[in-house]
Amino acid sequence: MGTTASQLRKDVLSEYQELTFLTKQEILLAHKRFCELLSKEERNHSNSRVPMDKILTIPELKSNPFRKRICQVFSTSDIKDGSLTFEDFLDLLSAFSDSATLEIKSHYAFRIFDFDDDGTLDGGDLEKLVNCLTGETDETRLTPEEMRQLINNILEESDIDKDGTVNLSEFQHVISRSPDFVSSFKIVL
Amino acid sequence: MSSVSEAALVSRPPSKRHKSVRKNSRRIYSPYRDNQPGHSDDEDKEDDRVESTDPEEMFQNIQFQKEIIANIRTRPWPMRRKLKALKQAREIVLQYEGRLTRTRGYQAAGADLLKKVSRLLYNIVVLFIPWEMRIKKIESHFGSGVASYFIFLRWLFGINIVLSIMTGAFIVLPELLAGAPFGTTRSKTIPKEHLEHAQDLDTIWSLGGYLQYSVLFYGYYGRVRKIGSAGYRLPLAYFLVGMAVFAYSFIILLRKMAKNSRLSLASASDENFTFCWRVFCAWDYLIGNLEAAESKGAAIVNNIREAIVEEQEKKKDTSLAVLISLRILANILVLLSLAGSIYIIYFVVDRSQKLEQEKPELTLWEKNEVSVVVSLITMIAPSAFELVSQLEMYHPRTSLRWQLARVLVLYLGNLYSLIIALLDKVNIMSSAVHGVPANWSDPSAFMATISQPGEENLSTLVSLSGHRNITLATIVMVLDNSTKSTMTTTYNHTGLPEKNTRSQQDPCWETYVGQEMLKLSIIDMIFTVASILLIDFIRGLVVRYLSDCCCWDLESKFPEYGEFKIAENVLHLIYNQGMIWMGAFFSPCLPAFNVMKLIGLMYLRSWAVLTCNVPHQQVFRASRSNNFYLAMLLFMLFLCMLPTVFAIVRYRPSQHCGPFSGQDKIYDIISDTISNDFPLWFSKVMNYVTSPVVVLPGLLLLFMLIYYLQAIARSLKFTNNQLRQQLQTERTEDKKKVVQLAAARLQAPETAVEKKSDQQESDITSRESSIRTPSPRHNGSVTNFQSPVRRGNSIRTITQSASRADLNRSSVAGPSRSPTVSILQKQRLEHVPNRHPSYLGGPSGTCRSKSYHQGAYIPPARYPENIHTDPLYRKTIRPIHPAEAAGIITAQSYVSRRPPSTRYVIVNEHEARKKLLRSATRVPRHFRMEDPGEILELYPRNVKRYTPRTPHHHHAHRAHPSQPHLSEEEEEEEEEEAAAGKSVRRGALGQTLRPHSLSDLHQPTRFYIGERADSQLSMAKDSHSSRGRFSTQQQGEEERAEGDWEDVGSRSGSQINVRGAEVPPAAVRRHTQSPGKQAQISPHFQGPVKPKTSRTKLEPSLTESDSASLASSSDQQNSSTDQYIQVIHNKERYLKSEARHGKMVKKKSKASIDLNVSASKDLMCSNV
Repeated sequence: MGTTASQLRKDVLSEYQELTFLTKQEILLAHKRFCELLSKEERNHSNSRVPMDKILTIPELKSNPFRKRICQVFSTSDIKDGSLTFEDFLDLLSAFSDSATLEIKSHYAFRIFDFDDDGTLDGGDLEKLVNCLTGETDETRLTPEEMRQLINNILEESDIDKDGTVNLSEFQHVISRSPDFVSSFKIVL
Repeated sequence: MSSVSEAALVSRPPSKRHKSVRKNSRRIYSPYRDNQPGHSDDEDKEDDRVESTDPEEMFQNIQFQKEIIANIRTRPWPMRRKLKALKQAREIVLQYEGRLTRTRGYQAAGADLLKKVSRLLYNIVVLFIPWEMRIKKIESHFGSGVASYFIFLRWLFGINIVLSIMTGAFIVLPELLAGAPFGTTRSKTIPKEHLEHAQDLDTIWSLGGYLQYSVLFYGYYGRVRKIGSAGYRLPLAYFLVGMAVFAYSFIILLRKMAKNSRLSLASASDENFTFCWRVFCAWDYLIGNLEAAESKGAAIVNNIREAIVEEQEKKKDTSLAVLISLRILANILVLLSLAGSIYIIYFVVDRSQKLEQEKPELTLWEKNEVSVVVSLITMIAPSAFELVSQLEMYHPRTSLRWQLARVLVLYLGNLYSLIIALLDKVNIMSSAVHGVPANWSDPSAFMATISQPGEENLSTLVSLSGHRNITLATIVMVLDNSTKSTMTTTYNHTGLPEKNTRSQQDPCWETYVGQEMLKLSIIDMIFTVASILLIDFIRGLVVRYLSDCCCWDLESKFPEYGEFKIAENVLHLIYNQGMIWMGAFFSPCLPAFNVMKLIGLMYLRSWAVLTCNVPHQQVFRASRSNNFYLAMLLFMLFLCMLPTVFAIVRYRPSQHCGPFSGQDKIYDIISDTISNDFPLWFSKVMNYVTSPVVVLPGLLLLFMLIYYLQAIARSLKFTNNQLRQQLQTERTEDKKKVVQLAAARLQAPETAVEKKSDQQESDITSRESSIRTPSPRHNGSVTNFQSPVRRGNSIRTITQSASRADLNRSSVAGPSRSPTVSILQKQRLEHVPNRHPSYLGGPSGTCRSKSYHQGAYIPPARYPENIHTDPLYRKTIRPIHPAEAAGIITAQSYVSRRPPSTRYVIVNEHEARKKLLRSATRVPRHFRMEDPGEILELYPRNVKRYTPRTPHHHHAHRAHPSQPHLSEEEEEEEEEEAAAGKSVRRGALGQTLRPHSLSDLHQPTRFYIGERADSQLSMAKDSHSSRGRFSTQQQGEEERAEGDWEDVGSRSGSQINVRGAEVPPAAVRRHTQSPGKQAQISPHFQGPVKPKTSRTKLEPSLTESDSASLASSSDQQNSSTDQYIQVIHNKERYLKSEARHGKMVKKKSKASIDLNVSASKDLMCSNV
């Protein structure tokens, strides 16, 4: 893998450092890990994509209930299939890195939770979010009654302008008060 | 989204669609773009390039660009975009920097270099952070909770390194290098009788023998004031370092806590967002282990359920009496066990003391029983507490807190009982000294007990004690073996005559305390290692490999895997650190030992966690910003400092060992140093400073300061609370105000009109308000919806069917929709033959007829598969709906309903046009799905109908590449207004008067006028020439159209629209704006019969909406801005987001331009 690590040119590397919250080592590690996901011939291309299901095999994402959403949010793919280029991958790691700001973290968290990509978290988004957290099995899943109650409570707390949805600024307001969000919204390779 | 839109999407070129979608999403998700619009967007990019040569400006620009370069990583953009922006910013910097003065260039280069170096340094520093990778690995497996333990451990490790450097560099090293070598003085020599055992394992083990007489302990350090050639003041250094250890620990702890509390804003309002946090912040993204993920998921579910249940029934009242009694019982048990453990420790210390005095030889157990017992208690008691806490049936979080508190009390109790027992022993030792103050100063005794240089100490002592039994004090002068020059006198005292021989030599209590502490620390380490190996590792092995051959499931039932209990482990670390602090003064190497211990613990723990532990079920979330651990540590530090300080202040130092031997109190070293080594004036000053005259006022001042600061803090807290409350009320008030304003707008213009459809009004407003935030995708698909090929048709058919529907409605005027529909169909059938021969020919004719048919079938059939029937259908509904509501009054109610919706929007924002569009584009989605028969649908439909057409005009006729999208949008919006205005007009005209041109007709007139109002509006946008043309055409049409009104209407409408769009946007604007011109135009259409009252009534509403849209656009100033705009200014809160949305919409429409170029011809030929 040493050869692949050196594939990153110096100027590109410094640019990546400039543009992300990652250190040089982290970028190199990310590159190494990313190259492992690529096949031999793809490695030579500068921006080859790794399909989503392959990305999801890395252990850091494997058990994450939002893994698909994460891929979709960070993917710049034309067909919205959640595939990632190396740059997308770096974006992902940067947003989830230690030193990323609360603002950027909450922004991406919002996008991850915004399942229908409509810019607000409405009841449907929240329901999906809770279902992701609780899992799909019957004993862990909330009953419709519980779900309704939960969503009402969430909206009651966070929906400042009472429009029935949580928008980005409301979300960030809530998140910024949370003591553990920044420390838990992290993915490290 | 229906399948219809899907089909439309497929037909479009995918790349373009993607582009627009991406742009949309980008716009919505980039909150920064309003702050720095120039760099977030490609087309605005050019604006940033400074054209002026003013160096200051240039410099500013460069600074700006640099700022962008520095902050670019904080933007949530995709990498490609960031790269682009970075490159552009750099380019500009490069391009313009050369033009500036040389010094600035150097400055910039220097800054650049500095940045590079700092980055390099940062990279290196990161490389040297110990165990970073290890912790990250754990973090990624078990989540931040477990990792926080290791981070805490690492932090403690750092503190201990600093402490050991302090003690090592200032105490241990000087003593080793410059102090008297081993065996030279009495305190550095192992007594003869112990010498043969000095290397035995059990002696070493109990830290006796060579270890006791080494730098490890207090007793070894010499009392010589200055050592070495440089004259290092070791005793002074010893004292100062001992104090500095505490001072440093305090400072570093407090600093860390302050930093953390600055990080966490949560302290003030913690319970506000329980549910949100439980859902939004629930998942720990670091978890990469399936088991950990499972347990985390289970914990989250529990957590959520708990919250729901708590919410549902705030109070649980299940057998309260039993519960209370159980809890009391549990607390009694805990207290008993605490008291028991304290007693046991005290008893053990006492016993070991007695044993030491009575038995000549101690077994291994007897030597170590104190530390073993203490370690055992610290290991067992927490589990016992856990068992007890199950009795209490507390909420898990509460029980965890109780548990932590109890364990902390237990640890403290252990340490305290140990140290008190030890100090008690010390007390006994030193009280004996105080009993004989006179004798040791006796000069004769002193002289008499001079022993010969070569003689053994022990024999001297024995012989001396023989004839000085009563005084109980022997003064021994120890002479140096090699040189007779240095003579040190050490005072030794013995307790009772019968114990003289044994306890005479080394009652060095400081060494004793240090020994005990070090022993305790070692035993604790051994027990920790053993517990990790036994309880975690062996158990893990057993569970893993024996689960197959066992009758029950080992993994899930009894032994299970060991849990990693974060809280208890952290407490254990704190306890360990407490021991270090307590003992550091008496054993200077204790911090160094602790460093090694922590390293070992780090590796062992991390290994154990990764191999054989599962995370705790009740995840105790301790983030780095959590001060909980630190607060406990601070508490511990304070409590551990107390006994040490107490011992230093209270007890007399040992008389023949240690750096302070011969002094009355340990701290005398300071006053000694001041009086001896400093100039006279300094000691005088110190005297003054320490006198009550200075100290008391100083203390008072400090108290005052504390009080003052506290008062300030209190008032700040108060203001903080007030501001928060204000903010909260303002938010709700704001919202309310907006709604109220909207309601006021609804009522004000239509005071005369009956409020028939109040419900619907409120419905509209509520919907509109709920739609305030648009969705990128939906917007995109709305525009995408229309396929270019059919557009010509759809436009036509819309207008046609609309007018037709109007006609029908007025003729039927039925209260229900279904009859209207059926009749409508009939009438249409009638009209078809009329129309074809008279007006249409060629392809456009067929086109029309086709669409016409579709229109005819719409209401009942709804043609779901047909795309352009959809808009058509909506259009027809609109006239129908008033028909439902029955009669002229319905038209009024309609009036009252329509304008409010637009006006409400105007009130809301500066950028009304965006809002207009937004609300318009949003609405359809909601309604289409839910209730297609709803009247509101029409409104959005208009947008749909118009959007594709306007781009076409621009491309066909406009030579304004710079602002196509802008004007496009304006147009769109004007269409919107036209739609609104149309309805207004229709209603108003229908009620008050009928225009003369239509008065000779029968029923359809009213709605025909409506259509004409529409056309008039569009006409208003027209230039003079086109107006003239239009008017003639219209007249001709009117003449011809006696029998077929609706067709004329539709046709003229579409034509007008086309022409109106031909005019450059500025002209369009002006025309719409000025009522005068409208008045000019209107006669052509409405005839002189039209009453002035209705005109005046109509125009304000028009101009209002126009002005609102104009106010938002930057290029034009509007004279007719009125109170609405002023209201808007108060709502600046919305502006940002709205602007963003607006831009997004802009983008979207731009995209639609591109797509619709191909269709332009189609439309042209069909219309002109």
